[in-house]
Amino acid sequence: MDVLYGDVQVIWDVSIHVEEGTIVALVGANGAGKTTLLKTISGIIHAKRGEILFSGKSLTRLKPQEVVDIGISHVPEGRRLFSNLTVLENLKLGAYPSRARPLFAESLERAFSLFPVLKARKGQKAGSLSGGERQMLAIARAIMAHPDILMLDEPSLGLSPIFVKTIFELIYALNKQKVTILLVEQNIHQALKIAYQAYVLKTGKIAISGGGDELLADPEVQKAYIGERWSKR
Amino acid sequence: MRERRSIIISALVTIAFAGVPFFLNVDTSYFAYYLFLSFCHIVIAQGWNFVAGYTGQISLCQNAFFGLGAYTTALIWLHDVTKTGYYFDPVVMVLSGLVPVILAVIIGIPLLSRLRGDYFALGTLGVQFIIQVLFLKGGAFTRGADGLHLPSTVFESMKPYYWTGLFLALFATAVVYFLIKSRAGLALRAIREDEISAAAHGIHVLKYKIFAFAVGAFLAGICGSLYAWYLFHINPDSVLNLNWLFYPILICVLGGNGTITGPIIGAFFITALFSLGTVYMAQTHPILSGALIIFVMKFMPTGLVGLKDRILSRG
Amino acid sequence: MLEYLTFGLITQLFVNGILFGTMYGIAAIGLSLIFGTMRIIFLAQGAMIVFFAYISYWLFTLLGVDPYLSLIFVVPLSLLLGSGFYSSLFKEAAALEDKNISLLIAIGLMFLVENLMTVVWTANPRSILTTYSSFVFRPIGIIIPFTRLIALLMAVLSASGVLLFLKKTLIGMAVRAASEDMESATLMGINPHWVNVVAFSIGIGLAGIAGVGLATIYSFDPMYGFIFAIKALIALAFGGMGNVFGALLGGIILGLLESWASFFIGAGWADAISYAVFLIMLMLKPEGLFVRSVQTA
Repeated sequence: MDVLYGDVQVIWDVSIHVEEGTIVALVGANGAGKTTLLKTISGIIHAKRGEILFSGKSLTRLKPQEVVDIGISHVPEGRRLFSNLTVLENLKLGAYPSRARPLFAESLERAFSLFPVLKARKGQKAGSLSGGERQMLAIARAIMAHPDILMLDEPSLGLSPIFVKTIFELIYALNKQKVTILLVEQNIHQALKIAYQAYVLKTGKIAISGGGDELLADPEVQKAYIGERWSKR
Repeated sequence: MRERRSIIISALVTIAFAGVPFFLNVDTSYFAYYLFLSFCHIVIAQGWNFVAGYTGQISLCQNAFFGLGAYTTALIWLHDVTKTGYYFDPVVMVLSGLVPVILAVIIGIPLLSRLRGDYFALGTLGVQFIIQVLFLKGGAFTRGADGLHLPSTVFESMKPYYWTGLFLALFATAVVYFLIKSRAGLALRAIREDEISAAAHGIHVLKYKIFAFAVGAFLAGICGSLYAWYLFHINPDSVLNLNWLFYPILICVLGGNGTITGPIIGAFFITALFSLGTVYMAQTHPILSGALIIFVMKFMPTGLVGLKDRILSRG
Repeated sequence: MLEYLTFGLITQLFVNGILFGTMYGIAAIGLSLIFGTMRIIFLAQGAMIVFFAYISYWLFTLLGVDPYLSLIFVVPLSLLLGSGFYSSLFKEAAALEDKNISLLIAIGLMFLVENLMTVVWTANPRSILTTYSSFVFRPIGIIIPFTRLIALLMAVLSASGVLLFLKKTLIGMAVRAASEDMESATLMGINPHWVNVVAFSIGIGLAGIAGVGLATIYSFDPMYGFIFAIKALIALAFGGMGNVFGALLGGIILGLLESWASFFIGAGWADAISYAVFLIMLMLKPEGLFVRSVQTA
């Protein structure tokens, strides 16, 4: 799959490419434009210039609901769950697109097996869940749409270290189930560890790009964003 | 240069209007009456324009301010407070403008500090209704539904009405014009565009909002005062009439919200529309007002004034 | 005066309040749906209610159709009108940041409808008098007019219907989700216009039901709509601006407030008190009286 991009006031001439079945990470400091990029792909924002291609089809002018229909799901920053609705209702809504509805029972099973805690809490209002549970619900909800590509915006934000580990294991597991992942993260270490390919965004432009392992070892990246070298494992 | 030209044009237009009573018999000419009515509408419309067009706060209680002004004038007159015996006493007028201002500040502080946008509009609606009830229940002071009667014996001719109306229209426009140009005007526009960033720049948002609200109230009040002398019979039905609420809105929306000339053009247009309507299409013309608002809001949110700009930029 | 406060009187006032209040409640539910999804304060709701009352009146006087039967015609008509209004008037405005424009359009529509009614039906009050109009139940000495009771029934039934719809159907869930967070809803594949059309149509549909109820109970004139809309808004403020069930309860509370205040202080002051409480609610607790605070996820 090709995802090409042009310039928006916040994003200047950015081009990224997401290969099917891989995990691609977008890292960078706050305000670098990562969220904007995801929002443009999912249709919330319109690009001033450039194209978004998905398996040869152009997504550039589509509305968000249409993008979901095509098979790209977006878990927004801050999760944005429907807190007044129950866990089950949130999941049901996740399967709203027509491509996902016939597969609802199956998707629900899959969601519950990946996230057993959600099964236990399925009748509870989403707003009453803990931070980590909410993140799981957000991801579960997104995969209810049976997406080909899952875009995650800062999934580890605000989570305790244990949960962070769990989340990343989940992301890895999902990928193993043939879901392509585009990951935006501040937690650079974790992100680069699981990424096949990564892009470093700096004030709206791509500063560095390369394989996950490459960048993990690259002292440039380490210096710029961590401030000091970290030991490998 | 453009400014000087507009000022010259405005001066000429004003002189032209001022000269009308010399050519027409103001007391019998319907056209003169139409002009007078338009002047009144301009005053109250500029007030609304300032609050809503420039500051973005939709106020739905202008008629309450208008009515307050009318009642104040009537009460002052009836109780002979100022001991002057003639109409259009500026002191009375100013007082009639100030009473609504006091109300505006009193209700503005709680309303504007807590309510945004359409919630604020709702709040002003509530205020307007409360005022109505208060007037109805005011006992001997306001004489309830019957209202107050001003002695019509002093009435000689329409001429002073006409000129005072013209003067007030000019005054209202000038007030809004100079306020817009001033620092206050800039602050208000900043608030309309982006309140949060305005506050971040140190603009005391609440103070300015109340100021705009008060100016709108003042203008509505003095218009009410003028109209009180025209009407002679002040009661809730006549001066708290919802028409005085909707006409300014319609005028500003049609003429061009947030411009100086918009309300003026709008006032002349709307007054003409409705005057002609009552004459020729007495039954159906009010429907137009509703249709007009919808039409304008959908297709010409910048109003007639904006339309001119848009046509020019196309060509 | 307090010596007149018998049990019967208290109960009567109570009953009156509830019967009255459900009318406001129905109007408020419609407003709540429209506000919840589109954040538009649909001031024309009252005018629409009166409009449907007139339709019912027409059906009665011209064709002899019993007002309750006229529901069969009125409800589909109202749903149609609702979607029509949305598509033609509010679709673009709903997406705008500046909610003032949709407010003005709603005001314009209100004007339009009110004046249209004045032209077609004149400003004279109309009412529907059927064989059962004056029929009254008198359980334990309390007066319950038949028509009011039916109106209460209609209110409760339609409110329950709407609630069921919201809770049990997928579209209903979509409406609830969109009311909470429209942007996230679109990320679920929900088309905002669909949701809006549904909400708007139901809102006008409820106005249709309320209109028929109104026609059977009161005499009405074109200008009655505005006051009604205001009362509905007050009910909404009590119940919480986006809370559907709260809207009905809010209406009942308003009805009770009016019933008691009118009796003790007189109708005029009762109005003023309602408006005053409305202002206070708006300022202090815009979420209404019934919301348990839920954290945003």
